[in-house]
Amino acid sequence: MATAAQTKFIRPDGKDKVTGLGRYTADLTMTGMLHACFRYADHAHARIRSIDTAKARALPGVFYVMTDKDVPDVRYGPFVEDRTLFARDVVRYEGEVVAAVAATTPEIAREAAALIDVDYEPLPVVSDVEAALADGAPLVHEGWSGYSASGDVVREGNDASRSTIVKGDVDAALASADAVVKERYVADMSHAVPIEPHAAIAQWQGDRVTVWSSTQVPYIARSGVATTLEIPEGHVRIIVPHLGGGFGGKCEFHYEAHVAALARATDRPVRLVFSRSEEFFAPDHRREGQVIELETGVMNDGTLVARRGRLILDNGAYSADAPFFPQLAAMHAVGPYRIPNVSVDASLAYTNTTPSGSVRAPTAPQACWAVEQHMDSVAASIGMDPVELRRRNILKEGDTTATNQVLEPIGAAETLERAVELIGYGKALPEDEAIGVGCGWWPSFGGPSGAFVKLNGDGSGTIITGAQECGTGAVMALPILVAEELGMRPEDFSILAQDTDAGGWDAGASGSQTTFNNGRAVIEAAREVRAQLLELAEEELEASREDIELVEGAARVKGSPTKSVPITTLADKAQGDRLLLGKGSGSPPPSPDVDASGCTGRLGMETFAAPTFITHAVRVRVDRETGVCRVLEVAASHDCGVILNPVGAEGQVEGGVVMGIGMATLEGSIVGEDGRQRNPHLLDYKLQTSADAPPISIAFVDAPSPYGGPKGSKGTGEPPCVPTPGAIGNAIAQVTGARVHQLPMTPERVWAAAHGVDA
Amino acid sequence: MTRGTYLEPASLDEALRLLAEHDGAALVAGGTDLVVGTRQGKRTLPETLVAIHRLPGLDGIAEEDGALAIGALATHDAIERSELVRGRWTALADASAIVGSPATRHVATLGGNLANASPAMETGAPLVVFGAEVELRGQGGSRTVPVEGLWAGPGRTTAAAGEMITGVRVPAPADGSGSAYVRLEYRRAMEIAVVGAAALVTIGAGAVSDARVALTAVAPTIVRSPAAEGALRGREPTAEAIAAAAAAVHDAATPISDVRGSDAYRRAMIEVMARRAIDVAARRAAGEAVPIPATMTVGGTR
Amino acid sequence: MSHACTLQVNGISYPLELDAGRTLLTVLRGELGLTGAKEGCDDSECGACMVLVDGRPVNSCSYLALQADGREITTVEGLAKGGELHPLQAAFLDEGGVQCGFCTPGMLISAEALLRRNPNPSEDEVRLALGGNLCRCTGYQKIARAVLAAAPGANA
Repeated sequence: MATAAQTKFIRPDGKDKVTGLGRYTADLTMTGMLHACFRYADHAHARIRSIDTAKARALPGVFYVMTDKDVPDVRYGPFVEDRTLFARDVVRYEGEVVAAVAATTPEIAREAAALIDVDYEPLPVVSDVEAALADGAPLVHEGWSGYSASGDVVREGNDASRSTIVKGDVDAALASADAVVKERYVADMSHAVPIEPHAAIAQWQGDRVTVWSSTQVPYIARSGVATTLEIPEGHVRIIVPHLGGGFGGKCEFHYEAHVAALARATDRPVRLVFSRSEEFFAPDHRREGQVIELETGVMNDGTLVARRGRLILDNGAYSADAPFFPQLAAMHAVGPYRIPNVSVDASLAYTNTTPSGSVRAPTAPQACWAVEQHMDSVAASIGMDPVELRRRNILKEGDTTATNQVLEPIGAAETLERAVELIGYGKALPEDEAIGVGCGWWPSFGGPSGAFVKLNGDGSGTIITGAQECGTGAVMALPILVAEELGMRPEDFSILAQDTDAGGWDAGASGSQTTFNNGRAVIEAAREVRAQLLELAEEELEASREDIELVEGAARVKGSPTKSVPITTLADKAQGDRLLLGKGSGSPPPSPDVDASGCTGRLGMETFAAPTFITHAVRVRVDRETGVCRVLEVAASHDCGVILNPVGAEGQVEGGVVMGIGMATLEGSIVGEDGRQRNPHLLDYKLQTSADAPPISIAFVDAPSPYGGPKGSKGTGEPPCVPTPGAIGNAIAQVTGARVHQLPMTPERVWAAAHGVDA
Repeated sequence: MTRGTYLEPASLDEALRLLAEHDGAALVAGGTDLVVGTRQGKRTLPETLVAIHRLPGLDGIAEEDGALAIGALATHDAIERSELVRGRWTALADASAIVGSPATRHVATLGGNLANASPAMETGAPLVVFGAEVELRGQGGSRTVPVEGLWAGPGRTTAAAGEMITGVRVPAPADGSGSAYVRLEYRRAMEIAVVGAAALVTIGAGAVSDARVALTAVAPTIVRSPAAEGALRGREPTAEAIAAAAAAVHDAATPISDVRGSDAYRRAMIEVMARRAIDVAARRAAGEAVPIPATMTVGGTR
Repeated sequence: MSHACTLQVNGISYPLELDAGRTLLTVLRGELGLTGAKEGCDDSECGACMVLVDGRPVNSCSYLALQADGREITTVEGLAKGGELHPLQAAFLDEGGVQCGFCTPGMLISAEALLRRNPNPSEDEVRLALGGNLCRCTGYQKIARAVLAAAPGANA
């Protein structure tokens, strides 16, 4: 019999979505609802001399104009508490909220926001990460040392978090290498760009507030509202209607507290809906720019002997979750290769730009883009085929990483072989085409997560979970896992989720963790229900539970298919008498041992638990005269453990590949010297269209991981965007003979590199 | 957005009367420039809108006295699909076929494109090389201006208050002609010209007897390149001759730097686009069926 | 001043009084309560708001509501008939072409406009026709497959 995962299972929220009847946050309207609009900083860095809200308040239809003075004196931030809800004294980036208006219509709210008079004293703008770390650079946060911070964050001035990884003796190894290659790469800021912009609605009932929010992380949003408004967490309920994508851009706590405060001040529900341009410059979750310097020593037989790296990541004006990025980027600067001598130093520089935060595989696509191009340069330095160089150095079972983690059975080498086979590496191509290859890796994130499973009297089931669906397929994987435990069909289950008053705590749609952790929770909950069903079945079938199995919607005696009772019958009998209810959280899988004694600034990334390995091979055509590239074909091979939900996993890979193509070729923010983004709109921040996206073939190395999630699975959501830009960079360099050292590799940059022009 | 006044005249005469009566009134057809610009905050919507999208008789695409007559309300979709345009005024089909998305092309009109006067507009350069004339009508009567005379700068036209564009008359190219419009684009959809070039090449007895070259997004308006045209005339349309002509376009190109490209890149690219446009035009003149749109046949996004 | 008009949406007539500058999208989502069409951008680049006006795809965010007076408007809510999913809707679900779903209404409308004109498109024709509808989740592969599977000419 086919397992549930192999049977075609239509996503439970699908009909709601294709009919257009499903509601997203901005689709909701409350009786008496007001509309919020923010007044943002008029400078990227300035001292606020005064704020005059009189004209705004006098505008008919305006209910409230809120500033820093109207909310509790609280600083917040997951690693460094450097933020406030509203600008206080100083604005540090263009999207900083100075004031918020609640009015009867969005138009009046906008007009009122514009009528607020803010008097500023402009301050020097720090927009370049290297300048930010230079001696004597103006401080983005004069009072940085006074901020509370997690004790593990190493900070100094504009360096908000510094991390190093040292293993072996890099100097000696470089001196003894047959060839040494040193390169520098620069990645520009880019964005998550979910098609649904941020939206939030708050409504109070007594001293409790419900916020409907387009967040990926409802439990973290709940904590944020409670912390910043100084109310008990139990007084805050976050509900997420259908969520129109996130990709990290809707992680962290964003604007739920602002609308909650406005709703409390006005005794009205208040709705905030972002425009696309706000989506670009305001939220604290864009993909950070990086400066990446790499130096690698290699022997003539292709053995990598040393890697030195210096990385500076752009934190932007405030620390969202980026303080763990330097250590994560340092791990990616080594990459999925055996390198016995490593020294990587990574910093996170404050600048007067939009704050960085986790966007789908944070730090990895940029760092991997540099490392994978660098690998091709290293291969060229010894006259070796770049795939062969990777083949000789890629991690395999028993190898140790830069932090001395000994690897379990992994499929990294298989991904390389399968990707190059799928694309036909080595085949004859037209002279303007080439195949580029990139490898990458990404950790799984084990952590707490909670769920309940109950069976209803009619034999249907309900999964009550803290998990968050944002297009990733959680609504598919969880019923598949529960159904397998209970011998039922995934279609038999409804899901009650995205409501912090219902499910158990979960980290949200982030870190590729939903199926990994919540899958474990729902299986544990389902096993409790299974035990309850077996107990009922013992009575019905007069057999002991060891002899009973749950299959095809029935409890039946093993070996005697005619002795069975439908689960619907058992559920009906239990109704009103016994509760068929299970709860689960489960212990996260064990974390592999590491020896990180050579590391500083440790924030957990020294361990790559249940790592996913990825190889992408791309065939690219380059118009040498214009630098315009078109990706014609992609082969993607992933070792992400056992695949639980094939349709969902394919969707993640296909979407991640195309996001990676966008990052590689066109997606980048252009920031002026004034610290402002110059292309905060979709005509000039260009996503890939359906006409651009190539056919993608996929090969999963479907092998269980001992440190994995359910059934030996690993995270699948983030890895697909990791190696694509590097693979494309390698293909471009093969066609043009010139490497592009800045991301995105726009047509102009490809052209400039190919023609030796300074771009 | 202003509460404003919306007027929908039933006839051209009524439209002209309303335009004259309401100072500052704006015409709206497809809305793809006017309404989008308002939503982006570039401008507020004018107090009075005169909606002309349903005016009868202004969306024609027909041959009249040997010339192509296109009504101001003809959509890019209709132009792109017109066998008449594709056959003899091919460069215009090349341009209309790559405006925005299918949805844009279904509502956006040629008249709107001309009136918006963007130096990056796709249909401008083709109309220039064909020597098109724009018909402007006001309450006092009508006049025609050469299409190059319509634009006064980015977003500005020479149309007087109360005048509207009613149509375009495009003379037929001489026998033995071919034309093409090619732009630099970064994606295969939803693009706007970074730079672009149109060419009309007429070949007689193996040599170029006439040539017109016009350039998009390298000057405050669409401009012709007399030097490139001069370099082609009388020459056999060899690769060398075409390259030499394209290299001459810098007489007319004074590009700026913006988020879509630097001036240096635009300068280099306008030469490439001009060469490709001339090349396709010459091939079409010689009878070769280069598919429409030419950009997606000879460009990096092909 | 308000202007009287009648919008015909999914076969139903709605008499309305509208200000001049109102876009069709805000009226559909506001007065008519049809929130299937979405607002995803400021510059008519994303296609999430797409509806059919007299059978043609239109970005309703940049189309004035009053201009649609008397025209036949179809939104995503009008695709399913008599409780039966439209073939495109069913194909999007079968092929896995729906993830977050925010682009889905516009995608379906674009695809419907394409198939009405070209019942047997090639994959490249599908991809070009959907070029004005941005999707961030799927990479478009399963969407393109769904449209091809739903094409009336696919099995002809």
